[in-house]
Parts: sequence; structure tokens; C-alpha cells
Amino acid sequence: MKTLPVRRLLIVLLLSWSLGPLLWQLYTSFSTNEALITPFANIDHRWTLNHYKDVLTGNPPFWRYLINSLIVGTGSTILTLCIATPAAYAITRSRGTITNVAQTMLIVAALFPYVLLFLALLEVARSLHLGNHLLALTIPYAALSQPLAILLLSAAFRDLPIDLEDAARLEGLGLWSRLRWVLIPLIAPATASTAILVFLFAWNEYPIALTWLSDSSLLTLPVAMARIAGSSIYSVPYGAYAAATVLGSIPLIALVLIFQKSIVSGLTSGAVKG
Amino acid sequence: MLLLLVPAAVLLAVVFVAPMLHYVWLSAHANSVLTGLVPIPNQGANWLRLVSDQRFWQDAGQTLRFTVVSVSLEVLLALAIALLLDQRWRGRGVARALTLIPWALPTTVMALGWRWIFNTPYGPLNQTASLLGVAPLNILSNPSITWMATVLADVWKTTPFAALILLAGLQTIPTDLYEALRLEGASQRTCFLRITLPLLKPYIALALLFRLAQAFGVFDLVQVMTGGGPASSTESLALYAYINAMRFLDFGYSATVMIGSFILLLLLCLISWSFLIRLQRRTGRV
Repeated sequence: MKTLPVRRLLIVLLLSWSLGPLLWQLYTSFSTNEALITPFANIDHRWTLNHYKDVLTGNPPFWRYLINSLIVGTGSTILTLCIATPAAYAITRSRGTITNVAQTMLIVAALFPYVLLFLALLEVARSLHLGNHLLALTIPYAALSQPLAILLLSAAFRDLPIDLEDAARLEGLGLWSRLRWVLIPLIAPATASTAILVFLFAWNEYPIALTWLSDSSLLTLPVAMARIAGSSIYSVPYGAYAAATVLGSIPLIALVLIFQKSIVSGLTSGAVKG
Repeated sequence: MLLLLVPAAVLLAVVFVAPMLHYVWLSAHANSVLTGLVPIPNQGANWLRLVSDQRFWQDAGQTLRFTVVSVSLEVLLALAIALLLDQRWRGRGVARALTLIPWALPTTVMALGWRWIFNTPYGPLNQTASLLGVAPLNILSNPSITWMATVLADVWKTTPFAALILLAGLQTIPTDLYEALRLEGASQRTCFLRITLPLLKPYIALALLFRLAQAFGVFDLVQVMTGGGPASSTESLALYAYINAMRFLDFGYSATVMIGSFILLLLLCLISWSFLIRLQRRTGRV
């Protein structure tokens, strides 16, 4: 496109648009309250680590929420994969109407704004006493992740040559052994993309966690952050909040930078093949 | 073989189908604090109330406005970003990863971040405005402006997703198509209009449809950034359903609002779908 300087300008614009709000949070988290209120005045105490100290020594300390989200994210990912992998295989190998019907239904479910389900899910949680159990959250999360997971994994199974499985069958391998030793290892890249997308979803999910969790030491990160906001509409402690944002974002930013390829191929393979 | 499908099918039925059926049943009952949280059949009173509920229709209008404006902005911006990221330049991979970051962060976290940016009088926007002598800009307390701030926050957060889908589409277009057309002396503009845009259309449709459904169900962003205010001007249908259940403890009516919203979303999807198909037919490609 056009000349190089124009492109450079566009790149700078894009990156400042994407990162600007985050960098502002970073700046806020290290600024004293005086510096925040009068950014252009000449004051002595401009920088501070107190916001971080407040957040990390709060009750419960901030890392508690990170651990909660980690538990929910990991649990949901494992449960999702355990259920979606066999289902994806079955959809790939069965022919005709079942596959088509299943696929259409999965796409509809993937499009469904799941926030509308929260009330019914809350009633389920109440009657089965699942509220305030971190691992119980993995059940709705695994269910909500099924459409995406099955679509991605079945696309990967479909790409494997059918001869490969026939050869394994001739060797006398049963269904379970074929899956375990031949097919699942071969779709490892698709499994990795699915896993990271499910993990991100579970880590970030808000409405269900909001209604299922009330014990303040069990909150996941998004709920804990929103609770800081809701505690007082007119004076949110922005400095401490920014420090919490920075601490809460670091794991995700690391995840995105490390698993960039998996995330991109996960998000796009659905688009290209579907 | 089909046994392998059973766990997933059961899970999906319990979490997607059962709730919707439950809502249909619940919407035919009065079930609130007034009834002692005991469901009592009320002969469609919930539905009569929904039809004449001004707040419901106002929220429907707001949700529609939010959806249409933010999704169109997102797809346009995503197209520009995808075109930029599709070219070869040093550091492209890193830039692609960095643009993904807003999408990966929890919505609630940055919703509050945006609230801080728009804060009156201490947020950066108003500090800058006061330097220019135009402060205060009461973005989050002016019912006719606040919704634009929520659109901005939504565009910031979800454009990377749409951009990635479009980028995937761009990368399926074979480069010799461009070379062939350029040999005929076509300009870049012609190339874009005659190759890129037509071949990208299915991907644009996909991104549109996905974002349409997600934006229509907007909840996290609005609940945390504005709480639906000021004066319910940014309240979405999902938030209204939530408020009915959790604040007014009127579960029967909340379920009615949810089914109502779901029907409106279906209508919206059908309308945009037939619009896309007609567009496809008129241009006669793909």
C-alpha cells in the first residue's frame, strides 16, 4: 500500500489505539493520588508503589483472584477437551444428515448470546448447591465452550488422511487405542488452539461467575474487579484499580504473546473452513 | 460411535435447550417476591406487560443502536487493520500479537479502565480538555452522549477479533490474481474493488454475523462501565433482564424479557442475513 511513511504512520496509530488505554492504566498505577488529580502541577511525590502494596495486602490479597481464575480456567479447559474430542471425532466419522444437523446446531449455539442463560443456570446452581464452588463453574463453562471446541477439533480430524486410520485398524488397534495413540497426537496443534481459547473464555467470563460466586475469597478476576467498581459508584479507587488491572493483565498478555500462533490459527481456522 | 457424542449432547441440552424451555414456562407464570417466589400461572400477563413496557422498548432501541453502530465501525476498522497486517513489513508478527491484547483482556477490567479515562474531572480526557479550555466534558453523565463512549470501548475491545477473521480471508486470496489484473494496467483501487472485496465477502459476512449476535447480548461492558445509566440511556436488553431478576427479584418477568430479546435477535439476524444474500446476488459474485 502507498508509500512507506504512510504505512509507518498507520502502524503507529494502530498500536497506540490498541495499547494506549493499557499504558494509561500502567501510568495510573504508579502515580500518587495527588499526581492523578493535578497531572500538570509541579508536585514532589509523583510516583508511588503504594497502589500495588494496597492491592497485594488487601483482604483477600489480589493474587487470590488470579489463583481462582487459574483454577477455573484450567479445570474448564480440561473438562471441555475431554468431552469435545470424542464428540468431534464422532461427528467427523459419521456421515450424512447427523453431521450436517450437528454442525448447524453447533454454529447456532456458538452464536447464541449466552448471557441470556444466566438466570436458568443460577437456578440450577441453587438447587444443586453448586454456588461458591470454583470447580462447579467448569460445568457451564465446558458446556458453553463445546460449540467452538467441537467445530475446531472436528475440522482438524477431517484434515487427517482416512488411510492412516484404516492402517491403524488393520494393525488391530481398537477405537480407543486409535484415538489415544494415533489421532489425538496428530491433532495436537488444533487441541492447543482450542485449549487456549477455552482458557481465555473461562478466565474472562463474567455474568455466570457473578451470579454463582458470592464468597469474596472465591471470586474470579473479572468479578473481583467489577466488585471494586461497584463498591462505590462515585469514587472508584482508580490508582489501586489500575494496579490490579496491570497485575491481572500480565498473565494474559504473556499468554497472548507466547501462544499468538495457536490463538490466531484457532480463531481463523473456523473462519476458513466453516 | 455415536456414544462418543452423548456427553457433549447432554451437556449442550442441559445448558442451552433446557434453560430456554424453562424460560418459556417461567414467562407464563408470576414468580417474584410478591408471590413469595412461588410460580403462579398468570395467563400471559407477563407478555402483555412486555408489549406495553416502555423501558423494554427503549432498551431494545438502545441495544439496536449500540449493535448497529459498533458492529459497522468494527468491521470497517477491522478491514483497514487486516489490510495493514496483510502486507509484508518487519515486526508484523509482533504487531499482530499486540493488537490482539485488547480482545484477550476481561471486558470488565477495561470497562472500568474506560470509566477512568472518561472520568470528570480527573480522567485524562478531561485533563486534556481543561488544558484546551473546553472542560468539563461530562461524557458519562450526559444521557445523549454516554452510549457513544460504550460504543468506543466495545470497538476497542472486539475489533481485533473481526480483524483476524478478515485477515484469514485475505490470506486465502491467491496473489497471482492481483498480478494478472495489474498486468492489464489496473490501479490498486480497481484491484481492491474487483478482487479483494468480492473474495472477502463471505468473511465479512461471517464477522458481521458473529459480532452482531455478540453485540446484541452486550452485558459485561455496560454493567461495569455505566451500570446502564445515566437515566437507563445505555441499558441493554440483557442488563434489563438481569436487573429484573437480581434487583427486582421478578423472575417470571425476567424470563419474559429474555425470550423477548431472543426473538428480537433472531429477527435482526434474519434481516441482516437476507440483506447480505440480496447484496450477494446483486453483485453476482461468490
